[in-house]
Amino acid sequence: MIGLRAGISLAIAVILCAALAVIGWAAGRAAERTIVPAISAKAESVGRSAAALVENAVQAGIPLDQLVGVRDYFDDLRAANAELAQIRMLTTFGAVLTQSGAASLPPDTPIVYSSVAARSGAPLATIAIAIDTSVISAQVSAVLVDVAFIGIVSLLVALELVALVVGTSGVEALAALEARIRALASGRLSQHASEDAAKLPLIAPIDARVEQVNAVHRQVRATAEESGDAHALAALAEVETRTGLGSVHPGENHAATIVRPALFLFMVAEELTRPFLPRLVQGLVPPKLPFSLDFAMSLPIVVFMAGVALCQLPFAVASERLGRRSSFMLGALIAALGYCASGLTGDYWLFLGTRLLSAIGYALVFVSAQGHVIDHSRPSERTAGLAVFVKAIMVAGLCGPPIGGVIADRLGGQAAFLVSSGLAVIALVVAFFSLPRSAPRRSGAGVGLSELAAALKAPRLTALLFGCALPAKFLLVAVCFYLVPVELQREGYSAAAIGRLQMIYPILMVVAVPVFAALAERMNARSGFVIAGGLIAGGGALLLTLGTSPALIALVLALLGIGQSMSIAPQSALVADSARHVPGGSSAGVLGLFRLIERSGNAAGPAAAGLLLAAIGFAAATASIGIMVVAGALAFALSGRHASATPTEAVNRPEVSPEGTPL
Amino acid sequence: MIRTTLGLIALFAMIAAACVAFGAYFSYVTLQNAHRSAIEARFSITAERIATTAQFAASLGIALPAQTTLSELVAREARLDPAVDSIDVLDDRGTVLFSSASARVGAPAGPLPHAVGRRIENDLAAAIGRVVVRYDPASMDAGARALADDLRTIAIPTLIGAALATIAIGILLAADLKRAARRAAEPEKWPPAARTALAAAQSVHASVTRGGAPDPAATTETARS
Repeated sequence: MIGLRAGISLAIAVILCAALAVIGWAAGRAAERTIVPAISAKAESVGRSAAALVENAVQAGIPLDQLVGVRDYFDDLRAANAELAQIRMLTTFGAVLTQSGAASLPPDTPIVYSSVAARSGAPLATIAIAIDTSVISAQVSAVLVDVAFIGIVSLLVALELVALVVGTSGVEALAALEARIRALASGRLSQHASEDAAKLPLIAPIDARVEQVNAVHRQVRATAEESGDAHALAALAEVETRTGLGSVHPGENHAATIVRPALFLFMVAEELTRPFLPRLVQGLVPPKLPFSLDFAMSLPIVVFMAGVALCQLPFAVASERLGRRSSFMLGALIAALGYCASGLTGDYWLFLGTRLLSAIGYALVFVSAQGHVIDHSRPSERTAGLAVFVKAIMVAGLCGPPIGGVIADRLGGQAAFLVSSGLAVIALVVAFFSLPRSAPRRSGAGVGLSELAAALKAPRLTALLFGCALPAKFLLVAVCFYLVPVELQREGYSAAAIGRLQMIYPILMVVAVPVFAALAERMNARSGFVIAGGLIAGGGALLLTLGTSPALIALVLALLGIGQSMSIAPQSALVADSARHVPGGSSAGVLGLFRLIERSGNAAGPAAAGLLLAAIGFAAATASIGIMVVAGALAFALSGRHASATPTEAVNRPEVSPEGTPL
Repeated sequence: MIRTTLGLIALFAMIAAACVAFGAYFSYVTLQNAHRSAIEARFSITAERIATTAQFAASLGIALPAQTTLSELVAREARLDPAVDSIDVLDDRGTVLFSSASARVGAPAGPLPHAVGRRIENDLAAAIGRVVVRYDPASMDAGARALADDLRTIAIPTLIGAALATIAIGILLAADLKRAARRAAEPEKWPPAARTALAAAQSVHASVTRGGAPDPAATTETARS
């Protein structure tokens, strides 16, 4: 049975797909009416200019048939303007004086004519420019692909908003009713834990019926226990296992769902800044600096990334000490102040400081949200919970940049930073209302270097961190964000075309992460998914040795997306499970260490890829990185004999886990 | 709960409508940017041509301020396209050296809205000046208006349709949920899996109550039936 919440989410997805397809069709029509004539007008402008040059030459006394260099000039024009299929200079009788481009044209090719006239106004010749409609169609198609991407972004935003509504406590009663109906539909007769919902008119009769059956069962079991009838008790136990009689359903675990809206809003706040940050920084760079403009422009990004990476470890512990909700809110507040200051300052050095402030807030929010999911999930739910966490970040990564770009275009980069600040404040408010109060855990304060060293001795953790986590981020940043764009740019592809190819990775991640996370849990094969993901992603990079056609690059990026969506959530869950090996059982330090090592891969990726590219070329550089990732995954596989290093404990952990109680 | 459900459906309808509006607006912005690029590409050709001429003269040793023929060139190029407002050649400090609008010669270039520019470089690729083509924004505005009209005509009915469809499906799903809730309150109307589980439980309970040892095979058979 599909519930109201899931049903309406699905319905909204389908309705929006249809509605956005209609918008896309309208966009195509509008493009035909406005953009195509604008492109054609360019050909007219080229024709008029060429005609003017010829007129000048003729007026200088050079006869038309003795003009030299006209063909080369036409060739240059065609080389600079791909939509010009052919340029000819014709006499007034139609004879061809000079021709550049295709010898024959399709019959319906549009041709723009510009007349060459003598000083007296008498016609001397005609410049005829044939327009290649396929090039114009390709240009319009590229615009429509951008529109389609906007449609995907709109859909993702809608689904996040739906998740926000579905995750609120206001619909708990609905969730309770759906849980009861779903349980009956799957033949479960267990009772349900939520006491408030049990009093509602639609729920109370269901609970009463189920309670009747359970009461009879309790009575029969008591009788059998009294009489010591082993066969009867065995039969009752068998029916309990099959039907859930005598047990209490703990209710849905909302750990990840609850933190998702606040986390999504916060991540969008940071992602908004991506498209306009370099341009904004360019305007702030003072004239005299001891380093180059390029370095000055990249420095705020480096400061932010370094700040986030270095804060992971200490903040993981701080977040545990403060409580997840308080530290999330504190992080959002710090980041909001950082964004606000970034939007108000006109000083480059101060701007660097504000970016560092935002990085501190970002790191605190990140570790708090991650810690919340880990704390409030049973081991068997951890991968799925972390998948929701990863998905929120990936969706924000997809939705934020286009929105930020438009805000910066319309209102300016400084105003866009103020919008980011506002979003961070909204995330703070949402966290205040949605996250459960959690008591600070003083026991979390004791994670030091010795405990981390002990954690590293946990079975397979070192192999996981250095064989899988670090190479995965290294591969992503080096190949997807550096080597592929640089190579495609070198081959003459536009930034927009490169950007469209790069979108393959996050879109696949958003779609596939929850699917693979659920599969990994169901099959109890977290390690297997991590290894397979590494092999697929690393093996995909090796394909770039075969060539760099857009189709092959799309395939490589798709394999990267599939591989990393297989491994990312199981990998985090394996690390969280390894926290058991830290004295005191704290997860904070190990997770902090994990993120620090992972983000080191982020930081090292572009620099190492740049060095490799310069030293051994594109194909060898990507192959080296691919081999490194495959080797890391194999090393992790060889480091353990069992299918899963830390098998889920679902079967052994039957206790109820109400939201707000760390497990 | 009915009020919650209706509120939820209304909220979802608003989300659907808002996201269609969001998609339409961002599509408009994307098209508008593409339209601007298409228009500016036309003026870029002019700017490129003048910059190439100036660079060629500079490579022959003629300093930019001394290239007096540029004055006539920019005037001629400006006359060729009625959409061009003016063409300026600036030095490396942003002062206008030559212009199709002679009154601007010697003045600072000032802000450059609705303009495209190209660097003029010497043989060492250092900037020695800039060509700026200012164009009439009317063609751009007309295109933007046409795009907005085209999209608005489709987007508003689509937006309303999406909201109404969400409400309709929401009401259908809510009615289905209510029916399922009523059925769930009566064991004889429970779903087949629940009835099977109940039958299996009742069979075991009856066997235990009768005092005879329940037959697991019979229990399983009852459950299957």
